[in-house]
Amino acid sequence: MSAAVPIVITGLGCLCGAGMNLAECLESMFRNERNPHPPLRFSTDHPVSYPVLELRDEFRLPLDDQETVYARTSQLALAAAFEALADAGWDEESLRGKRVGVCIGTTVGCALNCDDFYRAYKDGVDPEMGVIERFLRSNPAAVIARQLKLDGPNQTVVNACSSGTDAIGLGASWLRAGACDIVIAGGADELSRVTYAGFSSLMITDTEACKPFDIKRKGLNLGEGAGMLILESEAVRGAKKARGYMLGYGSACDAYHLTAPRPDGAGLKQAMYEAFAAAEVTPEMISFVNAHGTGTPDNDRVESRVLSEVLPDVPFVSTKGYTGHTLGAAGGIEAVFTVACLRRGELPANIGFSAADPELSGAPVIENTRIDGNIAMSESLAFGGNNAVLILGKGDA
Amino acid sequence: MRMAIQGIGVSGGFGRGVEALRAALQTGTVEVQQGCVERNGGTDIFPAYRASIDGLDEFIPKRALRRIDHFSKMTLLSACLALKDAALLEGDCSRMGVVIASGYGALKTTFDFLDSYLDFGYSCSSPTHFSNSVHNAAAAHVSIQFKATAPSLTVTQFEMSVPSALLSAQQWLAEGRVDQVLFGAIDEYCEVLRYCRKQFFGLGEQGPLQPFSFDKQSAVVGEGAVFFVLTRADENAAYGCIDTVTLGNHLVCPVKLPQDDLLIIGADGHKECGRWYAQAFKGRETAAYAPLYGSFPAAVGFDLAVAALSLRDRTFYASPELSGAATSVVTLHRKLAEEKLVCLKFGPGGDYGLVRLSI
Repeated sequence: MSAAVPIVITGLGCLCGAGMNLAECLESMFRNERNPHPPLRFSTDHPVSYPVLELRDEFRLPLDDQETVYARTSQLALAAAFEALADAGWDEESLRGKRVGVCIGTTVGCALNCDDFYRAYKDGVDPEMGVIERFLRSNPAAVIARQLKLDGPNQTVVNACSSGTDAIGLGASWLRAGACDIVIAGGADELSRVTYAGFSSLMITDTEACKPFDIKRKGLNLGEGAGMLILESEAVRGAKKARGYMLGYGSACDAYHLTAPRPDGAGLKQAMYEAFAAAEVTPEMISFVNAHGTGTPDNDRVESRVLSEVLPDVPFVSTKGYTGHTLGAAGGIEAVFTVACLRRGELPANIGFSAADPELSGAPVIENTRIDGNIAMSESLAFGGNNAVLILGKGDA
Repeated sequence: MRMAIQGIGVSGGFGRGVEALRAALQTGTVEVQQGCVERNGGTDIFPAYRASIDGLDEFIPKRALRRIDHFSKMTLLSACLALKDAALLEGDCSRMGVVIASGYGALKTTFDFLDSYLDFGYSCSSPTHFSNSVHNAAAAHVSIQFKATAPSLTVTQFEMSVPSALLSAQQWLAEGRVDQVLFGAIDEYCEVLRYCRKQFFGLGEQGPLQPFSFDKQSAVVGEGAVFFVLTRADENAAYGCIDTVTLGNHLVCPVKLPQDDLLIIGADGHKECGRWYAQAFKGRETAAYAPLYGSFPAAVGFDLAVAALSLRDRTFYASPELSGAATSVVTLHRKLAEEKLVCLKFGPGGDYGLVRLSI
């Protein structure tokens, strides 16, 4: 495959359990704070209460009636997109006439997870159609395109937990192909009773705060949020300073199992090497890795094995201890954090880690850690055997 | 970059396989099945284009299909047929990307998962239903079956799923990330979908499906799966090539149809989308084939299959249902010369996908 031209990142935006915008997220992560608690937005009769990382506050979009217009996932996507666009110096008016693409990853945002509606249907009641109408209006990429009156390609990627990472890689390729001038790319997902029930049925959720890469890790904590990047062509960027660079993307499928990662990590390695080749970098040039690090026994075992093999001695961190696993949003949020950490020259501690697992080949950073270097990697593993990797570069602003 | 179509696999209300689709095009008729929902002591009988998964065990042992749902079985059947058509069924698929587009994903399994906890409590939620309800489960089954370790992508975007996903297939081939793309479009029928459509459209879905009656709700629910084996166009194409894929919004910037191209519109009896077609096609020689496979978001994939078959057969097939049709609608099969075909699909908000094909 051919090497990829670096794509400039001019804006960043995110909100999640760690904070309501990027600045708040960084502040709380570098203070090593987190706040997992039982879900407040829904309840179940499950005998065990699994902690989640919900948004700390309510948020308001500049819409007349955001609750009824769009589902929460799309509201989150819009909130992060607005922050990223403002960071890049764009508004709806200044985007007019530009070819703007939208590429968003999600899971819950495209699922008909309307269990109250369905319960009523099963009970013989004819449920109101409002929730379905809202679902049909709420495809995340289409919502952003419609809300900002954009004319360009848009795509909603549903590659499970690698969706956000894939969306950024795919969006960058549209710019390289000349299909548009600007791309809004990232991921968004809300907490849902359905995914809460699903992950607990798979027995991969922790009853306490999650502990990525720790010997006592028992599973993940679900989270919610969105992370967005503004990618621009050089022609549109002009003299604008870069927050960072999207240097390369790789992805590969394990073709092994519906939910478990391939034990030898061959798919993840393939995705890494594809991303290195696209970015024209060598493993030695990577200064740190934002790992997928869900805190499940299987994921962390495979990931640490591959990291120690391909990137030995490169510091890595899972930020999911601060955000929870935000599923389709995770890749977007973690790409934003990766670029922000490159700018800051520092990594937050891998919260939840206290003792190394002798079965794992490496250990994450255990305290806030200074980093040198201009290039970092963010990776996602997903149900379906998807593996996706981004190589990101330090900007000048 | 042009993409060559090397193989097609289809399963829908008209039957399974390219020959069944060709037969439906030639006769212009399909026997529409009936759906039946029993609820609240009443029986709701309605027309529905249903897809059979008969014959899947010719390709995959029944034992391997035990925990695979109807959605993924439809997917696997059409994927196998496409690979067989392209003589790749036994080949090395390690450089083959998998791209799947679906308007709604595995609806039936999504509700089966809800059943598991609504009926028996949250501690009895079914892990099998949950993992199969995740939207990329079908792509995963395909990758596992064919050991396709190259990139995999699933796109869910209602009516725009197919053109949007095609953009990525095109890009992967252009970048040299893959040598082939196994590209599929799938949607399935389920009982709750019938309820929703009935609530939205009342009795407007009793058939027949009349795609050119733009101001009338005549959609008839359908389901099916279609797959294509795509390569770079530097290889000879078995069916013709996809030249360009364009997405946009007619309200922001009106769709520009290439001059002299023959038009296949994705009109499927949905009044909300019909108005956009009425504005766009303006006297151009046009056909619509939804009456052969029904109304569902991924049906634009079937329009593409018809276009590809038309290029191979050098025939522009007649529109099967002409109620409300303008004089420019093609009423008789006619020979194709060097014309290009363009498939146009509108969503209800004016968003559109335009796919141009040629020999």
